Amino acid sequence: MAHYQNQSSESESEESVVTDKELQAAFSKGVLKPGLNVVLEGHQKSLNNVDGLKQCLSEFKQHLAWVERLDMTLGQAPNVMSPTSYHTPDKATVDPEDDFQREMSFYRQAQAAVLKALPLLHHQKVPTRRPDDYFAEMAKSDQQMQKIRHKLKSKQAAMEKSEKAKQLRALRKYGKKVQTEVLQKRQKEKATVLNAIKKYQKGISDRLDFLDEEQPPPHQGKKEGAGSQRIKKGPNAKRRYKNQKFGFGGKKKGSKWNTRESHNDVSSFRASVAHNKGPGKAGKKGSNVSEKCIQHITHLVHW
Amino acid sequence: MAAAKRKRGGAAARPRKRARAAPNGSRSPAEPGPQGAEHSVPAPVSKGKWKNKERVLIFSSRGINFRTRHLMQDLRTLMPHSKADTKMDRKDKLFVINEVCEIKNCNKCIFFEAKKKQDLYMWLSNSPQGPSAKFLVQNIHTLAELKMTGNCLKGSRPLLSFDPVFDKEPHYALLKELFIQIFSTPQYHPKSQPFVDHVFTFSITDNRIWFRNYQIIEEDATLVEIGPRFVLNLIKIFQGSFGGPTLYENPHYQSPNMHRRLTRLAVAAKFKEKQQVKELQKFRKKEEKIIIPEDPTEIVFETPAAEKPLEIELVKPEPKVNLKKKKKLFQRQRKMQKKLSRVGV
Repeated sequence: MAHYQNQSSESESEESVVTDKELQAAFSKGVLKPGLNVVLEGHQKSLNNVDGLKQCLSEFKQHLAWVERLDMTLGQAPNVMSPTSYHTPDKATVDPEDDFQREMSFYRQAQAAVLKALPLLHHQKVPTRRPDDYFAEMAKSDQQMQKIRHKLKSKQAAMEKSEKAKQLRALRKYGKKVQTEVLQKRQKEKATVLNAIKKYQKGISDRLDFLDEEQPPPHQGKKEGAGSQRIKKGPNAKRRYKNQKFGFGGKKKGSKWNTRESHNDVSSFRASVAHNKGPGKAGKKGSNVSEKCIQHITHLVHW
Repeated sequence: MAAAKRKRGGAAARPRKRARAAPNGSRSPAEPGPQGAEHSVPAPVSKGKWKNKERVLIFSSRGINFRTRHLMQDLRTLMPHSKADTKMDRKDKLFVINEVCEIKNCNKCIFFEAKKKQDLYMWLSNSPQGPSAKFLVQNIHTLAELKMTGNCLKGSRPLLSFDPVFDKEPHYALLKELFIQIFSTPQYHPKSQPFVDHVFTFSITDNRIWFRNYQIIEEDATLVEIGPRFVLNLIKIFQGSFGGPTLYENPHYQSPNMHRRLTRLAVAAKFKEKQQVKELQKFRKKEEKIIIPEDPTEIVFETPAAEKPLEIELVKPEPKVNLKKKKKLFQRQRKMQKKLSRVGV
């Protein structure tokens, strides 16, 4: 805390009578500074009675064997697990806001103490390991430990689950990428083939090798049976016939309409067939059968 | 008086009996190590060996919150040489504690003092003679927390690990001695277990003392935290117990009241500044709105636009030529046109 004091009152208390001239002179010298208040540096020094502390300690100290006290003053242990991979900074540079770093430094300090103390304890014949069949009350109840175990388990499960989901998501992403790539490639191939065909049709190039050039590469590595099935030499027979009959490609609308030429074309007309007329009387052939029968029956009756 | 005597006698008798029950117990720690047979189990107490009669009174003032109560309970479970007492009234003077300690036959004391139902202070004291130290306790985590997965025997003796800084400065050296005398369980204490299976760590970071408790799992110093955790911010060290001349005062200590006040002031300053800015903006807006009286000389240089002659159109204007393509006819219309043209031919 900064203490503020009125300068004028202070100076008045020091010298009972201060004339304006003196003040002006002081101001011109630079002793006085503008402003009403002056900041006194810092707060009073906090107590630190070193001698008293030392004396108190010497009076207070107990002189007992180490086994009775079990104290250990040591810095951090060198990293036992992996001295190179993870470097914890020295005690002085540990950032107290960084939880992990701070806790690690405490842990390492405890570790150092344990590493140093265990041989000493063994030397003093103090056991450090509880035998498995030694049962005694623990600091934390079994119920509490059960709770802790349960929590750890659930946490681990959650972590595994999230990890799995993450992996799946990555896999899906990759799959999609591959799929789009394949599609794009196919489209590109198709475009090039069509272009080549167009060129051929227009007579720009007279090479047909793109037909067998494009197809083989994807099938070369595959089995013969599957490959031969996939290679289609055009559409099937029925389709081909239909294509021949009705035409393939181009505008369909109005293609079956009569035109002047088709209207005037009477080449397929046969007089013998048309209008059920003509010498053969073909049209009445079917119906004659019953008449004949009737005639035959009447003939018999007449007999 | 008689009851107390009988009790003392009983307490003394019990260990003797136990020692007789396990006669090879005292011999067994001679072979430490992996042979975990029942023969190696040492007796919890060895008769006549309990020399260090340190007893710590752990109690608090009224008005502590649940966390403090749990912390106190945890310390009592971890320290078999501790004793409990009823909460002290807030109005009692602190030096009364010395008498309480005497009544309870304790020579060390951990006293939790709660203030304002939010700040917790901890007194560590060597009861009749002193010294004593007062700390502000922050960041308390108790044994009941699920994050700390370790466990240890109730009443086993702890190792005490200290930061090297404790040896460098006299006040820390004094504190170290105080910590050792209070927190280390005396050997062969009747309620203690014969194994050393956990470490209390006192570490100095950020001008504070950080307390941690780890379980020793393996001989290669693999540790797991047991709890509790807390941070001690030293305020003062006194020569006497709960009073007396001050030996040391922490210059880095800021009282929680002051801390709260400063944060409040900072918030208030921010708010004030915002309001000032707002006011200024308002003022400026008002200033801009001031209507300037009309200047009659302003229109002197304005020249009126030349008037255009009035024109009346009597003829319809020609339609604009459409530059767009002719509109396509419907199919029906196109066919009709075709037919008409054919007929025309």
